[in-house]
Amino acid sequence: MTSTRRASEMRRRERAWGLVFVTPISLQVLLFCIVPVGIAIAAGFTNWNVIKGTYDFVGLANFAEFLTDKKFWIAGGNTLYMLIPIPFYLLFGILFAIGCHRNTPGNRFFRVLFFLPYISSIVALVVMWKWLFNYEYGLINQVLMDWFGIQGPNWLGDPDWIKPTIVLMIVWKMIGITSIYVLAALKTIPEEYYEAARLDGAGPVRMFFKITLPLLSPAIFFLTIIGVIGSLQTFVEVQLFTEDGGRNYSAATITYYIWQKAFMSNEMGLASATAFFFALVILGVTLLQFRLSRRWVYEGA
Amino acid sequence: MRSRRALVAVVAAAALALTGCSGDQSASGDRTITFMGWGSPQEVAVFEDMIAQYEDAYPGVKVDYITVPAADFGTKLQTMIASKKTPDVFYLAPENVMPWADSGIISDLSDFVADNEIFDESNVWENAISMYRYDGTTPGEGAIYGLPKDIGPFALAYNKDLFDAAGITAPEPDAPWTWDEFVAAAKKLTSGEGSEKVYGSAPYSLESAVWSNGADWLNADHTEVTVTDPAFVEALQWVADLGLVEGVVPSSEEEGSLGSFQRFLNGQIGMMGIGPWSQGQFWAEADFEWDLMPWPVSPNTGEHAVWYGGIGFAVANSSKHKDDASNLAAFLAFNEDAQRTNMEQGQAVPNLIDMAENEYLSMDKPPANKEEFLRIIQDYGRRATQTYTYNSEWFGLFNSNLASVWLGEQTAAEYTASVQEEMQSLLDEGIAEQGE
Repeated sequence: MTSTRRASEMRRRERAWGLVFVTPISLQVLLFCIVPVGIAIAAGFTNWNVIKGTYDFVGLANFAEFLTDKKFWIAGGNTLYMLIPIPFYLLFGILFAIGCHRNTPGNRFFRVLFFLPYISSIVALVVMWKWLFNYEYGLINQVLMDWFGIQGPNWLGDPDWIKPTIVLMIVWKMIGITSIYVLAALKTIPEEYYEAARLDGAGPVRMFFKITLPLLSPAIFFLTIIGVIGSLQTFVEVQLFTEDGGRNYSAATITYYIWQKAFMSNEMGLASATAFFFALVILGVTLLQFRLSRRWVYEGA
Repeated sequence: MRSRRALVAVVAAAALALTGCSGDQSASGDRTITFMGWGSPQEVAVFEDMIAQYEDAYPGVKVDYITVPAADFGTKLQTMIASKKTPDVFYLAPENVMPWADSGIISDLSDFVADNEIFDESNVWENAISMYRYDGTTPGEGAIYGLPKDIGPFALAYNKDLFDAAGITAPEPDAPWTWDEFVAAAKKLTSGEGSEKVYGSAPYSLESAVWSNGADWLNADHTEVTVTDPAFVEALQWVADLGLVEGVVPSSEEEGSLGSFQRFLNGQIGMMGIGPWSQGQFWAEADFEWDLMPWPVSPNTGEHAVWYGGIGFAVANSSKHKDDASNLAAFLAFNEDAQRTNMEQGQAVPNLIDMAENEYLSMDKPPANKEEFLRIIQDYGRRATQTYTYNSEWFGLFNSNLASVWLGEQTAAEYTASVQEEMQSLLDEGIAEQGE
């Protein structure tokens, strides 16, 4: 009798302490996540003008406005373009990780080197790239000219080249983080699998495709998910490489469009509606990826 | 001046004492006002110094000076306005006067300008103040919503060494070149190849060309887009042809690689538009003689024109200490020491007419023809067309693919015809917004 009472007393105290521990983080999520997101969604249905401080309910008018805006669709196309780097950095990331995994000389040094771009300030990187890709004086075009006699393109000024330049930069930036994740995944694959395969007469290529790749698939899946979300949200590169989204809006992405509407045109309602719509799109894409993942991600037997 | 400042202090102290009698707790002397702006490190240092002087002159007021990078300023200010934390004093661009006055963000300073202890309106360039005037319908007229931080006339500078070497004499201020004479001179100045290339001119000011040709982006009451007007098209094509046909200005690729400003400093550009804010850098870095000349005139009109710009100080309508805030804005705008410092650092032409006409003109530093700056301010300068409209998205659209004209992918006529309609609908949206 006393023991059960003591147990329930303990449970009660435990519950109280539990509440004490979860309250701060719950409050944080509520105040800085749920409430602002709620306000943003609600704002999407108003014509909120921050400067004037006015807002009226306008129903779906904002959605109609951006869906019929030519710029929105140009930005949408450009945003899809930003998905192009993903397979490239996955491929290079895996190759680098495998290279570092075998105890190649200097692998620690290379690991640090690959990871540097990811932890560097994106603003600093963009400034550096601006110089590298400068039409007349950039290192890239100088090298193309001096070594190969090719006149390099106007990477940042030509509307046909600005997006490929951004893609290159994303690939370069993301290889590091990809290879670190893949490397970590590689370390979890038991050596016994390879030993057993070798005994059965499997060659290195076969072992890679039958053992390494399937066991890496959860990591690759994770990288694809964050990669797609990251690519769809490309913003800083556009803002810093271009003025007003580049010639003919050639580099503007959806997030850039949203930012312009919110802070340049003072149409916070329209911007919120676009952001809400875009969040749904990203959610849809991510769910679809999870769905498709059943076909190729190895979940363990 | 010193005695006047002392008087100011006494008046301020008396005012404090009076408010103290009425039981206002601010009598304890800790009213804090916030001031938000951007600027180069030098400029920020000048402001910090001015603010210290202001706090000495107005005991009991403390200034909280917030600096933000210029690129983030708009976003930051907007967020502060939305969260009802508008700074008491902040930078105001002329194009924001209308929407911000209409929405009651910025205070009407007309009464303060007419009756204040810091400056005399008649000693300030009218064009500097009128950029912040708005009567509820027309910008440039009526009530004053901002005090000028500075006024920036865009003048045509030239490299005298290059001129001498090419045997060219710059035109006298009252006898400007025509466009044809300008092109002829630019051709003579252009020489060399590759890294030795010298161009006759930097890309020409489109405003100057368009206005001088008797055209404009919009009609007189700023309700109609007029870029397809033949005079406009002609001016635009003329500017483009300086590169495409005459080859006397850097191409847009070259311009993107190394801006004309740097080329000019390297001694590789004959003529280039500059503002007074560049003087300091020229003094420090230009190892050639340079001066200002009048902007060339279109043969069609014989009139010259160019833009002047500027940024002002606004006082928030929501400020709890409007008098202190207005005094701070005026102090920053017109304090003699600060004006002199800016002038001596080559950052600006003084806002105060007497100082500009005496001390500035007699300064022993280039340009020799400093009057050109003043002539643009008083005589042939204009404020940019897009500052007359409620929002400038129509202007953004005009610029969005202007490069295709500079590159010769489209003629001026084709390009303006392709954007005119959409510009008009964006302008109409702005006009509708003003009506709301």
